[in-house]
Amino acid sequence: MTPEQKNVLIDHLDETLRGKATASLEEIIGNDPEAEKEWNYLRLAVGAVKEAGLYQEVSAARTAWKAELGIAANAATTNAAASTAATHTIPQHTTTTAKVRTLSRYGLRAAAIILIITASAAIYKYLSVSSGSLYDRYYSGYNLSTTRGAGDSDPVMEAYNAKDWTAVRQLAATAKTRTNQTDFLAGMACLEQKQYDEAISHFEQIIAVNTHAGSDLYQDEAEYYLAISWLAHRNVNEAMPILEKIRADQHHKFHEKVEKMSFFDLRLAQYKENK
Amino acid sequence: MKAEVTYTDAELIEAISDGTDLNRAIQFIYRQHAEATSSFIRHYGGSEQDADDIFQDAVVAFIDVVKKGKFRMESNVRTFLASIAKNCWFNELKKRERAGHRNKQFEMNRPQDEPDVAEHINDLEQKKQLRDLVEGLGESCRKILLLFYYENMTMREILYHLPYENEQVVRNKKYKCLQQLTGLIKDNPAVARQMQEIIK
Repeated sequence: MTPEQKNVLIDHLDETLRGKATASLEEIIGNDPEAEKEWNYLRLAVGAVKEAGLYQEVSAARTAWKAELGIAANAATTNAAASTAATHTIPQHTTTTAKVRTLSRYGLRAAAIILIITASAAIYKYLSVSSGSLYDRYYSGYNLSTTRGAGDSDPVMEAYNAKDWTAVRQLAATAKTRTNQTDFLAGMACLEQKQYDEAISHFEQIIAVNTHAGSDLYQDEAEYYLAISWLAHRNVNEAMPILEKIRADQHHKFHEKVEKMSFFDLRLAQYKENK
Repeated sequence: MKAEVTYTDAELIEAISDGTDLNRAIQFIYRQHAEATSSFIRHYGGSEQDADDIFQDAVVAFIDVVKKGKFRMESNVRTFLASIAKNCWFNELKKRERAGHRNKQFEMNRPQDEPDVAEHINDLEQKKQLRDLVEGLGESCRKILLLFYYENMTMREILYHLPYENEQVVRNKKYKCLQQLTGLIKDNPAVARQMQEIIK
């Protein structure tokens, strides 16, 4: 086909032809294989352009959303400092004109104070936050007697309640049957003894067993303490998705605990770790 | 402060179908659904970048489905988006051959009542190849085709955006650019063959 003929096909595709011209082109496309082929290529090309346009639009929304997330995280820090500074600096009783002047003067001072506070806080935060410090902040032991099976005579449980971590690990390792409970208690004992690799493997074992068996025994506990173990292991990248999953799941036993965590600090630690 | 529009599922489908305010609809989808879906991807071994890429693919696929009138309100938008994202990520994992434990775990955790979205994601790779061809066109051709076919602008409106002398020059340039793109597609017979069935 000549370029001119192709252009007529394009006009037909754009619906800029009228009456007889459209009808005759329909006929040509129906009877001429070459014209039909060209027609299909043109439709495909237009489809590709529309697809690229949509992708570009979604991509812009994605960028905007990421920017909003960043702004929201920064605003949360700045607002706290701003509200404290404003309470102390803005006078209560002035005339309207004076108020404007005073406000702008105090506003500048407040802005300077906020800037200094924010900068200092940011520097302090950046230096002090790490996966290790987050572990120290968020780790708390698991109290077996108040949550599960109090009064059982299982030796692993007895050793756990007695905080004899070495005995817990030995008994769990030599137990005839390995259960999620023994794995969990062994994992906790490892955490207490700062054997993080081993703790991680115990908690992962529980999750794997539950996945295969379709059960959920100690699932929530294993997920939470697995995340905590990754923090202790100085690997926030592994901990984050688990913590986010728990935060998104309102029925998770550790949901409230995770919701109280500072995700800003966690992300900061993650940023430092990935640098 | 920027006003944020909210939609019910039905309103969202309508906004996408008639395309009057697609941009706001897409922004709403991100604000409403991106975090939950992305955290799922990260939980199954994806990086933040992976999660963002997969969710973006899911949104594009979802809009495509809605525009073609194939979205049925049997499942809600959140579930549908999550299913597309999960399947995309599963395919990605397969592709990366990182399978092993996480894949098995992923498969076992898939709810029975999850909508079947396989037909909607089969062509993602081919669509990506097509997008790449459009990218390969060069700035001026890409812009003119996007303004005309995606933004639905007239030749006169395009004149306000691009430095051409008159409408006829724009029209001629558009002919040339579209033919250039069909040429690129013809040079990729695999894309052409696979896509004939998809874009109807």
